[in-house]
Amino acid sequence: MADKKELLKLEHIQKWYDCGENATKAIEDISFSIQEGEFVGIMGASGSGKTTMLNCISTIDTVSDGSIYLEGLDVTAINEKDIASFRRENLGFIFQDFNLLDTLTVFENIALALTINRVPVKQVDALVQKMAEKLNITDILEKYPYQISGGQKQRCACARALINNPKLILADEPTGALDSHSAKILLSTIRRINVEFGTTILMVTHDAYSASYASRILFLRDGAIFAEIQKENDTQQVFFDKILNVLTAMGGDACDVS
Amino acid sequence: MYLKLALRNIKRSAKDYVIYFVTIILIVMLMYSFLALGFSDDIISMSENMSMLTTGMTVFSVIVSLISSYIVSYAVQFMLRQRKKEFAIYELLGMEVGTIQKLFFIENSVIGVLAFGIGIILGTGIVGILAGVVKSIFQVPHTYQILFSSEAFVLCVIFFVCMYGAGIVRAVRIIKREKIVDLLYDSRKNEMFSKEISTRVQFVHVIFGVLAIVVGIFLIGEGMSQQSNATWIYLVASVILLLVGLYDIYRIFPIMMIKFVKKNAKMKYTECNLFFLGQMGHRIQSSGRMMAITAILFTLSLSTMFVGLLLGAGYKANMKVYYPYDVGVAIDAPFTKDSLKSLISFVDSKCPVQDDNIYYLYDVDEYSIDALALSDYNKLRSMLGFEKVEMSDDEYLVHCDTWNYTREIEMAMKSQHEITVTGVELYNPQSKIYQEAMEQFQMAGTNGYVLVLPDHITSNLPANKIRLVLKLENEGIAELRSEIRRYLNSGEWVAEIQEGEELPEQVTIGVTVQAWGVSNSLTGFTSISFCSLYMSIAFILLSCTILAFEQLSTLDKNRRSYQTIDRIGVSRTMQRKLIHLELATFFFIPFVLPAIVIFILMLSAQSLYSSYIMQENIILLYGFVTIAIFVVIYYLYYVTTCFLYRRNIIR
Repeated sequence: MADKKELLKLEHIQKWYDCGENATKAIEDISFSIQEGEFVGIMGASGSGKTTMLNCISTIDTVSDGSIYLEGLDVTAINEKDIASFRRENLGFIFQDFNLLDTLTVFENIALALTINRVPVKQVDALVQKMAEKLNITDILEKYPYQISGGQKQRCACARALINNPKLILADEPTGALDSHSAKILLSTIRRINVEFGTTILMVTHDAYSASYASRILFLRDGAIFAEIQKENDTQQVFFDKILNVLTAMGGDACDVS
Repeated sequence: MYLKLALRNIKRSAKDYVIYFVTIILIVMLMYSFLALGFSDDIISMSENMSMLTTGMTVFSVIVSLISSYIVSYAVQFMLRQRKKEFAIYELLGMEVGTIQKLFFIENSVIGVLAFGIGIILGTGIVGILAGVVKSIFQVPHTYQILFSSEAFVLCVIFFVCMYGAGIVRAVRIIKREKIVDLLYDSRKNEMFSKEISTRVQFVHVIFGVLAIVVGIFLIGEGMSQQSNATWIYLVASVILLLVGLYDIYRIFPIMMIKFVKKNAKMKYTECNLFFLGQMGHRIQSSGRMMAITAILFTLSLSTMFVGLLLGAGYKANMKVYYPYDVGVAIDAPFTKDSLKSLISFVDSKCPVQDDNIYYLYDVDEYSIDALALSDYNKLRSMLGFEKVEMSDDEYLVHCDTWNYTREIEMAMKSQHEITVTGVELYNPQSKIYQEAMEQFQMAGTNGYVLVLPDHITSNLPANKIRLVLKLENEGIAELRSEIRRYLNSGEWVAEIQEGEELPEQVTIGVTVQAWGVSNSLTGFTSISFCSLYMSIAFILLSCTILAFEQLSTLDKNRRSYQTIDRIGVSRTMQRKLIHLELATFFFIPFVLPAIVIFILMLSAQSLYSSYIMQENIILLYGFVTIAIFVVIYYLYYVTTCFLYRRNIIR
């Protein structure tokens, strides 16, 4: 890990929402960093601040205080005009509800990410085909999202997130809308993306089983980091048990461990 | 309590209500102002037949309110969809369905009453302008006046209650029918995509559409050449075929365009084109029918407005052709010329006479046609400013200014070169027919045509019909017609019969006065053009409302799509551009057909009728007026929809 470069760094970020006289704090004080090629899971109960934090990293929301650096660039200081280009050049998104465009085919959904990034027209076809092969969705490329299953949709979303080789993939509850079988396939795919392509992944989840696919997990409670565990050489089962232990220590109500 | 809650709800969902609100205001304003114009004593008293405007406006108001009731229920249902979840929550919290219905009813009633009030106030302002326009058509001096008509107001209330009430009652019934679960999760229902039409089927549609249009055009040509009631059958069939053909092509053409553009990789994969094409493809798939119907409605509205304005204008501009003489008196009896001298004095006492001409129409029994002496014919021509005609003693000529007889007479003259009148053979060497406007209701011939014979021939013919034409110093007044009629029918006028002739059992007397004709034609002009304006503007307003609602009803779905592209790095500026492009295309497609049709109408009217209409460039002028009215209304709706759409999508 020591020879790897630091990709993402959060320095004392805080986020509060002003509601008249009462300010609600969503993030108390969070600092951590992620190395290039890491697969980090963020766990926590509802209201712990995990989604707010992810939104701040992805520039969808702004921090109230503190800084977020991606490869040394202060994300919180990027002006409105440059945010879109920053997002499309550096980040890839996988959402719980897939967020595919119903009006486009799977192929076109993936190609859209390329065309927005102004990739030369001649390369579009080959790049989409290549990515589809990697994610095993070649035979559904001409289908519309409403014609395919949830698992297939999420793999299509993965392909769209990966196609521009982003520096960081942000996944928000990616298995939230999937059945257990589809979830397993997707998580294996995400891990494969991490291992084979060296893509850095930050995944927010409240499911211990999903989190056990990550290499490091940060536990949030009340807007602050409560604990952090590393998988290192543990088997997935051992790591899963460790996660459950932390969750129990946090109060046991953070997730569904059944 | 309910009123307070309803008012708060209106305030909160103002954005949903704005187009609906504006449309209701505009419809009420339109209805009231045109009705008030039709009922205005000031306007009705301007001409004898002006009451036809009142009838026209009332009849068209019934049609407008019928269509409006459909739009109201469409709009109310749109708002119901937007708020289903809110109603479901009320129900979950224990509010009774009846109470929710009451709430929705109060909300809509408040909006309705408010819109109605504003519409009436604006309408009262507009009617003053419309009355000014009518007065300037009649060349009556006028100043702007605010006009309130209680008859128009009462009619408006009745029409409004019918159209608005029907819409709301339907919506309130829906609330009662739906289950909470459906109300709650309505927006989450999967959207059904209709199956894409295959290329083969698309071609079949295009061929069918083109065929229908070609046959339709052919039938128009056939119908126009028929001189019987069959013309109407041809015309109705051709209109149906044209509409079906246009609808079919309109429905398929945008689908084919999208498919075609998508085949071009360079176009498809440039920046956000893929997203735009996807959005448009889906729109055309789901709203294509509505777009085609709107396009046809627009075309009908614009054509009605253009043809109405043009007919009216043509009517007005051609009056000099219909009434070439200031005064014309036709008496089908063998009176002496002196008998009419007293009539000339009578007219002179009312309006100074500048020039007069008393002449006879002679019976040519061999051909059952009237004849005119060459000298009288030339006097009439010189009164009207036409060149004199010369011919030798063995010649004759034909004057016919009724176009539908011309061809028949020409053919008859070609097959028979000479005619025999009182035993003398006469020729028309060039078979020429003079066609200048001289007829004015039997002044030159009784059937719209007359034989012009040398004076030495007519002197031997019986002169059974006498005519008088007058040129007045100041064109006369409309009332002169009834004055002359009264004078001729009173005992004041004494007529002498020519020697040896007898008075027929029935004497037909015809009096035509240009000033009266113009005044009446202005009534025709006003009625036709204002009724067509009324109908077309109402249609355009209603069609625009449907287009706008069709856009706004996709807000939820599109908001998600735009959020997705926002996350994958499409800038806000680009998103705004995409929204504009999407809406502009959606509004542009239904605009293409009416624009083409109006352009063709303008060109064909210009080439076919411009020589018949005396006022220069009037066709082009009215064409542009029509397009301008349409574009202003259309643009207003486009801008409002764009504003609401953008505000809802990019937050």
